[in-house]
Amino acid sequence: GTGRNEGKGWKRFQSYKGEAALPKEAENLRIYIDRKAQTIIFPIHGFAVPFHINTIKNVSKNDEGDFTYLRVNFQTPGQLAGKKEDTPFEDPDATFIRSITYRSPDGHRFDSISKQITDLKKEVNKREQQKKEMAD
Amino acid sequence: MTTQFENIYHGLSPEVGKFRIASSGMAWKGEDSENMMAMTAADIKWAQWMRVARNHQLRIGLKDRSRETFDGFSREDHDKLAQLLKQHFSVTLETKETSFKGWNWGVTDFQGMFGQDLAFLVSNKTAFELPLDHASNSNIAGRTEVSLEFVTPSGNKKAARNAPDEMVEIRFYVPGTATRDRGSDA
Repeated sequence: GTGRNEGKGWKRFQSYKGEAALPKEAENLRIYIDRKAQTIIFPIHGFAVPFHINTIKNVSKNDEGDFTYLRVNFQTPGQLAGKKEDTPFEDPDATFIRSITYRSPDGHRFDSISKQITDLKKEVNKREQQKKEMAD
Repeated sequence: MTTQFENIYHGLSPEVGKFRIASSGMAWKGEDSENMMAMTAADIKWAQWMRVARNHQLRIGLKDRSRETFDGFSREDHDKLAQLLKQHFSVTLETKETSFKGWNWGVTDFQGMFGQDLAFLVSNKTAFELPLDHASNSNIAGRTEVSLEFVTPSGNKKAARNAPDEMVEIRFYVPGTATRDRGSDA
């Protein structure tokens, strides 16, 4: 292996330039998919916290009793035991959010959110792949 | 003279109310419940301003070291609030910068009078804060992963339509010296 990519090869991305760009829907304290900004906004204790789709690895959902749990897994270093890591990070030594889990009595809504995030992720990956092919 | 701001939230409550400032102190009163929260001038020690989900938040530090938050202020309210706080209570309204970069990496920092808030900072700006006294459980897995679980206020009741989404767990990856051994992440 070539070891870690210490900041090398990391392509800069950003959800919003400032607070004024935050969509109005963030006010509802509910998970919101902002396709235009390629960003998911999560409510965390009163804050509207955007996560760019590039930071998201995948989403999983499960039903337990009256509730549906939605778990969002993020890209972090140290996830591929024994394998070479090819995802570059700006700062591999930083503290990373690895996952966040939400709970809702409304399983249909979490179904829809899960699908929207997965679709956006696929779309962005596909576009990246196309760009790479064009560059070759 | 009293100045009034409309459609202001107290804490994380979904109820809007009126927020009033006079030389004697400040008070919030709920529109539906008639709930009331009053702070006397002598108790007001500091004030902060930051962007949160429900527009801007006015955060007030009190003499007994507790604090109260009020969401729903618009950007344009800042100057008026700053002037009133200065005039009535000789308190400077400090701005705390919030990050909207959309990154999942940064620095954790214990803040508050007793380090009771775990702040997550992205490029030196606050992305969010977690009140640790609300955490119901914490776990450390494999020396590099820390998880925090939160009690959910709605309990087992069926949540109302348009109820906020509740975060029940967050996991951090904290690369310690242990993970710096080259060639092995095990």
